[in-house]
Amino acid sequence: MIALAVVPVVLATLLIGARGVAAMRTTSDFLVASRRISPAFNAAAVSGEYLSAASFLGIAGLVVKGGVGALWYPVGFTAGYLLMLTLVAAPMRRTGALTVPDFAEARLASPVLRKLCALVVLVIGYLYLVPQFTAAGQVLTLVGGVPYWVGVVVAGVVVSVTLALGGMRAATYVQAFQFALKLVLFAVPALWLLLAVGPEVRHQAVHPVEFTRFTAPTAVDFTLDTRFELTEPVTVRIDGGGAVPLEPGPHTAEGGARWEFPAGAAVPRIDGAAVPGSATWQRPLLDAGSAGHPLLGTWSVLMATALGTMGLPHVLVRFHTSPDGRAARRTAAITVALLGAFYLFPAVYGLLGAVLLPQLYLSGATDTVVVALPLRVDPGWPGDLFTALLTAGAFAAFLATSLGMLLAVSGAVSHDLVPAGLRRLRLTPLAAAAVAVLLALPGARLDVGALVTSAFAVAASTFCPLLVLGIWWRRLTARGALVGMVVGLVSSAGVMAAGLVAGLEPGIPALLLAQPALWSVPLAFVTMIAVSLRGNPPSGAASAMLRLHLDESAPAAPRP
Amino acid sequence: MTGRPGGKQPRRVAVTSPQTRVALGGRRGPPVRAPRLTPDELARAERVRAVQLRRAVTALLAGGAFLVGLPLLLQLVPALDDVRLFDVPVSWLAVAVLPWPVLTALAWWQLRRAERAEAEEDRP
Repeated sequence: MIALAVVPVVLATLLIGARGVAAMRTTSDFLVASRRISPAFNAAAVSGEYLSAASFLGIAGLVVKGGVGALWYPVGFTAGYLLMLTLVAAPMRRTGALTVPDFAEARLASPVLRKLCALVVLVIGYLYLVPQFTAAGQVLTLVGGVPYWVGVVVAGVVVSVTLALGGMRAATYVQAFQFALKLVLFAVPALWLLLAVGPEVRHQAVHPVEFTRFTAPTAVDFTLDTRFELTEPVTVRIDGGGAVPLEPGPHTAEGGARWEFPAGAAVPRIDGAAVPGSATWQRPLLDAGSAGHPLLGTWSVLMATALGTMGLPHVLVRFHTSPDGRAARRTAAITVALLGAFYLFPAVYGLLGAVLLPQLYLSGATDTVVVALPLRVDPGWPGDLFTALLTAGAFAAFLATSLGMLLAVSGAVSHDLVPAGLRRLRLTPLAAAAVAVLLALPGARLDVGALVTSAFAVAASTFCPLLVLGIWWRRLTARGALVGMVVGLVSSAGVMAAGLVAGLEPGIPALLLAQPALWSVPLAFVTMIAVSLRGNPPSGAASAMLRLHLDESAPAAPRP
Repeated sequence: MTGRPGGKQPRRVAVTSPQTRVALGGRRGPPVRAPRLTPDELARAERVRAVQLRRAVTALLAGGAFLVGLPLLLQLVPALDDVRLFDVPVSWLAVAVLPWPVLTALAWWQLRRAERAEAEEDRP
């Protein structure tokens, strides 16, 4: 069953990847596929690369867990390409730089800044890669009953072999194919689900009722140690053992345990989580952790996701496969439309999941809601078939994103941290993938959506100000960029880590620590500007900046 | 699997733009200097940048107003939760459906204006 779903995706990825091997010659070939790719094709590749497990599985899961407001995430993900089109795409392509570290050096001629950029690529890369591998493991565990590590290792092997064989040329074919695949594998099951659930469930999906009582005997597989509050006495069976009577009050379920609740029992309450169907759940704003500040929470996520997109290293490098700045800009515009088409569907899975599988809110396995829905709706062969299709799509999502991100990470290591030629570059993805697998192995219980969003916050606080000011402001100095990036890195990655350790009570301080983008991005911008104004830009900085705005249709000047 | 059947492929050489050579210069060997822009090119780049910056700011203001304003509207007018279109609360449609056509239209509009800014340069 699982083999049926995953093997074709893996084979197709490898075959299409192998097509790219023929033409490998120079480092530039490897990284940017010799720049011969049309805007529409490239936009499909950008979208294919961008639509990760967080989009395919995570958003629907967040809707079940957090409410309708989670639908703001894809809005930010898509708005990022509007910003890219407006501010970055064409000038960035004209720099000729292959990566952000290249851009930093070409624009500001500072080797130190280049190394810092490479370091930030590593931070963003692993914040993004680890949850992809984790999600691969989780879905295969759910659907196939294979051990978690099998899924993680399979994903790591396929991705790194494809990269080592074909590089970006392969990745561009693979990614464009992956976008078509993902759109079909996401849209068709969604339409089938909408038809198959019948009018009553469709009505419940848009008239949600708070999940207060189990309507049928329900088994809850807790993924994490979970503290909850019982409002009335209930008798449960734990891990298939005898009946255990429980008093009202706080209880803790161990991670990995299976609790069976009888029909009619009151649903336990979890602190800080919105119960599916409740009034807060229905509000279309993002009240992270029920902190009571939905407007701030929504704006913060929008800021991180929209501004972070332009700083994602695997997306930026993709624009260099366009022949020129104009084509890069068109690529960004087409991408907005393609992403919009895909993001019509997470809401379907999320709303149906909240009606049909609300117990996922207890178990914490909300990331599996997309894959779990078909069998819940139809236990027969159609359910099996659509589960297989969605598993294939989810696996395609891990592969696509991981391919691009591994390339960016390998590029940062072998180009910027340790310079080397093509031979080393081909081997680096293997090492980079191995590290991601090792980091993901103990991470079976990570929240995919949360980690990916933190990668966006880091990108928004570091690369976004560097690129925007570097492209549009001639007075930017290397020192200003350096200090601003360090401040951005500390106030995003550092503060989120500190917030995790500190574990504050829900409220504005906790919100600002967990979602720092709302203040860390402006802080990075202001620092960069203030420090730059105290120094003098190097001679030729103005011309280095203006060069990025000289369009391709300009008449070629005679050269001596 | 290895290129065109039968035919010998011409030897491939690295073709890099001056910009790319500059960008890659730091990697191996001494830094490469970009060829200087001619005064004509500098003047053109300066004009194009000014127009593009103005248009970019308008596009950013439009997009920003949408992304800041829509959550604000949903927060201030909770009654939108009770208005239904096709039996779906309007406030849900505002998040789940409305952003896609709006963002696509904004992207299309900005793309046209950015390309026109460059085309206008070529006309006397």
